[in-house]
Amino acid sequence: MRLDRDTFREILDSILRNRSRSFLTGFGVFWGIFMLMLLIGGGQGLKELLEKNFEGFAQNTCIVYPEPTTKPWRGFQKGRTWALDYEDIDRIKARVDELDVVTPILSFWGKTAEYGANTYSSGSLKGVRADYDHIESPKLYYGRYIDEMDVIQERKVCVIGRKVYNQLFPEGGDPCGKYIRVDGLHYQVIGVDYNEGNLSINGQASETVTVPITLLQRAYNHGRTVDLICFTAREGITMSGVIPKVREAIAVGHYIDPTDEESINMINTQLIFGIVDNLFRGIKFLIWLIGLGTLLAGAVGVSNIMMVSVRERTTEIGIRRAIGATPRMILGQIVAESIVLTLAAGLMGIVISVLILAGVEAGMTSDGILKAAFQVPFGTAVAAALLLTVLGVLAGLAPSLRAMSIKPVDAMRDE
Amino acid sequence: MLIELKDINKTYDNGQPLHVLKGIDLTIGRGEFVSIMGASGSGKSTLLNILGILDNYDTGEYRLDGRLIKDLGERQAAEYRNRMIGFVFQSFNLIGFKTAVENVELPLYYQGVPRRRRREMAMEYLDKLGLADWATHFPNEMSGGQKQRTAIARALITHPQIILADEPTGALDSQTSVEVMQLLHRLNQEEGITIIVVTHESGVANETDKIIHIKDGVIGAIEENHDHNASPFGAGGLMK
Repeated sequence: MRLDRDTFREILDSILRNRSRSFLTGFGVFWGIFMLMLLIGGGQGLKELLEKNFEGFAQNTCIVYPEPTTKPWRGFQKGRTWALDYEDIDRIKARVDELDVVTPILSFWGKTAEYGANTYSSGSLKGVRADYDHIESPKLYYGRYIDEMDVIQERKVCVIGRKVYNQLFPEGGDPCGKYIRVDGLHYQVIGVDYNEGNLSINGQASETVTVPITLLQRAYNHGRTVDLICFTAREGITMSGVIPKVREAIAVGHYIDPTDEESINMINTQLIFGIVDNLFRGIKFLIWLIGLGTLLAGAVGVSNIMMVSVRERTTEIGIRRAIGATPRMILGQIVAESIVLTLAAGLMGIVISVLILAGVEAGMTSDGILKAAFQVPFGTAVAAALLLTVLGVLAGLAPSLRAMSIKPVDAMRDE
Repeated sequence: MLIELKDINKTYDNGQPLHVLKGIDLTIGRGEFVSIMGASGSGKSTLLNILGILDNYDTGEYRLDGRLIKDLGERQAAEYRNRMIGFVFQSFNLIGFKTAVENVELPLYYQGVPRRRRREMAMEYLDKLGLADWATHFPNEMSGGQKQRTAIARALITHPQIILADEPTGALDSQTSVEVMQLLHRLNQEEGITIIVVTHESGVANETDKIIHIKDGVIGAIEENHDHNASPFGAGGLMK
């Protein structure tokens, strides 16, 4: 078959002058692609929305906190209370090589933050070290996070969460440098954390006022004790293998039975994330199942219409052959028509679904920050369009071949 | 001789074998205006299909312009049909979504003639048949006679040696039938094109110079008809 402007004109004429047939064929393709893209994009967005809950939280974190002992040890009876302190951090670091970050938290619940007449009650006040950002990484909208010097010099500075910020500074703007008050102490705001994750330690980031831990210990007379110690494992280390070593390190300093798992309590987030990962995998599988189903339904629709259209064209094919078209010319034309038609319709489906997804994204954006990306990857869209085109062509080819086996005369008589 | 048929046999096998052509011997010379006449089922359409290389025959020999036409591949057959034979059908067989001029130029498209040249030639032929004003009309906007003239223009555009007309007046009223037959006659006289008309109407056959009667798959009689009075129905151009 020649491939020149003339051939293309012929193809275009055939498509444009048989509008309803072309429309129906094209619509099948369009709908298949359109639904698939919406599903993939929507599923993607849903997944991101879910993942948002765990945003910024290190997935290999373990948290240790003290409970009364449940086993007697070295002359001590069970039921003894104890507390974690700074020495535990050093002990853990010294004894367990596999760990990356080991950092303490001290926190207070139900604190009220005030700025002028504005108050935010039932927030939490959390004291951390600078390296806490490895556990829960902040999403700073303004300013900076707590740094080493803040901790060493016990500076009265704070990073406030989004809800706290919205309540205290309803008119918006950069609050850095302003002073807010908690329990009569004034803290200078140095940053605003927009982290929206729902997984966090001792209070959601958005409801928290974060200050240097050293300052908090001094202000609330906590001495060297801390509430919890968080630690992350190095790359490639499985947390559950490390936990007994950590427990032993702590047990030594506090005269606790190293096998007392209820006393030296650990929360291993790696396990939680494993469950969540499986959930995501399930959702993804479901999306692809439905998506491919839709695509297949689209392809079946296209092939159905192709079959009807070729039957309808039997006469035309007969005429063309009688006046000198070879079977190959006619097959070439039918295939070329299918390709042009399905590509045009497929691209339209992609464009419209992308526009709708873009609209959804626009609705999900607040303060210029996108909550979840609903868009479809370019490669996926193109692959889907190509797949549907190939299916459409194959579907059109079979009935065309059958039409070709009918003698031109019979084809023309068939009116 | 332009067309030479020697002992052509054709059997259709749909469930039970049907011997349609039982040894046809026929020669038609260049420039003849011939009709093949017979009742339905006589095998005349099958003969026309074989002449038009639209169908194969079982045994015998068919030579067209000296070339043996037997068991041709689809491409070769398409090529011969395109270059040597023009078809005119009872039901016109114009492509509905193409205008008159586009229908006429279609054979040239398959020859690979450039668009502009094609269009010029198609207009020329439409003009010749008095259809220049109807060039941009679609078939369903034209009368039967106009459609048949368009089909004839399409048959003529490739300068074929033969025009095969299968019941060309079958779907036309008597007035337009006369016009179409006169047109074919004129083409035969002026351009010297060999024309073979298949019909079951004696009035139509009477317009031709030679009438070949076919009955039950064999040729019954060949009648010279240069004074056009073979049939009482054909007198004075009356056909129906």
